[in-house]
Amino acid sequence: MRRFIIVFLFIAILGIYGCGYNTMQQNEEKVKEAWANVEAAYQRRNDLIPNLVETVKAYAKHERETLQAVTEARARVGSIQVSKDMIGDPKAVAQFQAAQSAMTSALSRLMVVVERYPDLKASQNFRDLQNQLEGTENRINVARTRYNKAVQEFNTSIRIFPNNITNKLFLHLTPKEPFKAEPGAEKAPQVKF
Amino acid sequence: MKKIGQGEQEKKHFKEFVSLILLFFVFTVYLFISPFNAYALDVPPLKGYVNDYAGMMSPSVRARLEKELKAFEESDSTQVVILTIPSLKGEVLEEYSIKVAEKWKIGHKGKDNGVILLVAKDERRLRIEVGRGLEGRLTDLTAGRIIDMAIKPRFKRGDFDGGFIAGVHAIIDATRGEFTADTKAPQVKKKEASPIWTFIFFAGVILVFLGRFSKIISGVLGAIGLPLLAFFIFSPPIITLILLGILGLVIGLVFPMFFGGWGRGGGTSSGWGSWGTHGGGGFDSGGFSGGGGDFGGGGASGDW
Repeated sequence: MRRFIIVFLFIAILGIYGCGYNTMQQNEEKVKEAWANVEAAYQRRNDLIPNLVETVKAYAKHERETLQAVTEARARVGSIQVSKDMIGDPKAVAQFQAAQSAMTSALSRLMVVVERYPDLKASQNFRDLQNQLEGTENRINVARTRYNKAVQEFNTSIRIFPNNITNKLFLHLTPKEPFKAEPGAEKAPQVKF
Repeated sequence: MKKIGQGEQEKKHFKEFVSLILLFFVFTVYLFISPFNAYALDVPPLKGYVNDYAGMMSPSVRARLEKELKAFEESDSTQVVILTIPSLKGEVLEEYSIKVAEKWKIGHKGKDNGVILLVAKDERRLRIEVGRGLEGRLTDLTAGRIIDMAIKPRFKRGDFDGGFIAGVHAIIDATRGEFTADTKAPQVKKKEASPIWTFIFFAGVILVFLGRFSKIISGVLGAIGLPLLAFFIFSPPIITLILLGILGLVIGLVFPMFFGGWGRGGGTSSGWGSWGTHGGGGFDSGGFSGGGGDFGGGGASGDW
């Protein structure tokens, strides 16, 4: 009898260690944390835009269209929020990504335009903004890469045996959506000057 | 005639079995030792505060900066490290830079107060990578200005020594006072032991424990446990799993016997000490290392 209890205890303990219950939970938290960083990085970029638009406007009065595109893209980005609990939803993530990449391309168009205004490019104010914008783009890249890594780890951990059984029985976690590479996004710091 | 052939074939099969197990063992060890070896451009080892792999500084300046940065870490605990490389070999500066940051982990854990000044000589590009804890003081903007105003003009003139000195001083000035060094002696850095070791340790204890009741149970558990463990780490083909099962059976039968003897002698505990710290490898013996600082991509890049 005693022997059976011991065997049962052993299997139970082995089960907790081996079924991946904890691992999957931990990985999900990591994904959420990484997502928070992604959002923060994008938000940071968004916060820079009004200042940038004002600065450019002061020198480049004739570029109203380009500036407007940036402002509109910013408004659209602001209206799409993806909370931590929605990162399992491919549609929400795709929408978020579309809005942000529209922002990216509007910004890079603006930066092309800026080339035509040497006075603007030379102004300290604009150079400072450049630095901040570059830094922010880089942060976005880093946050995205780390998010994708966390997602990949999580998605793997809920699919492998025996975690998948544990997941089906207890956790019901669904795969998370990674960022997909956009055409041309490999050279993301297009906002290079 | 036929019988001999069969015998030889069996022998051959056995040899294949053994070599497969050996191969598997080597592969496992390899996996543990060198998890990240596939980078296009490897991050060079961290030698000290100044890692002048491109040979851009004169020896006297190198020694001076090394001393100054050491003093700065002692007073402020902030780690500033210089890396120069001959060429990026096609890699993007920012991506390489964050790779260096992730590998070296400059800055102290929790404070995240590390700064890396990275210079790629051939591309004439440089970057100041700023740890999360310093982003408030050494903003992207400040980092950008340090590059533009302190480093770039001197580099343009070919005055690398002057550029490094001015740049390092500006970085120190910008970050001074943000953190202070702890008064207590620096703790020994410990990486978290891999969960696998906990698992193996745990399995070992159980095996020994059960081995006292029944060899059959511990044998069976070994036969199941080892392939299961292997399955978690990498899903090997079924044949390997079976082989591991056999190996596990043997371990399950033999392992408790070793400890069975010791256990009665009352010395079991002495055998365990080393397990817990396994996987807590230190850094190289140079005496200088990053302290686990985190980077989030802050900083600025420039060229000259």
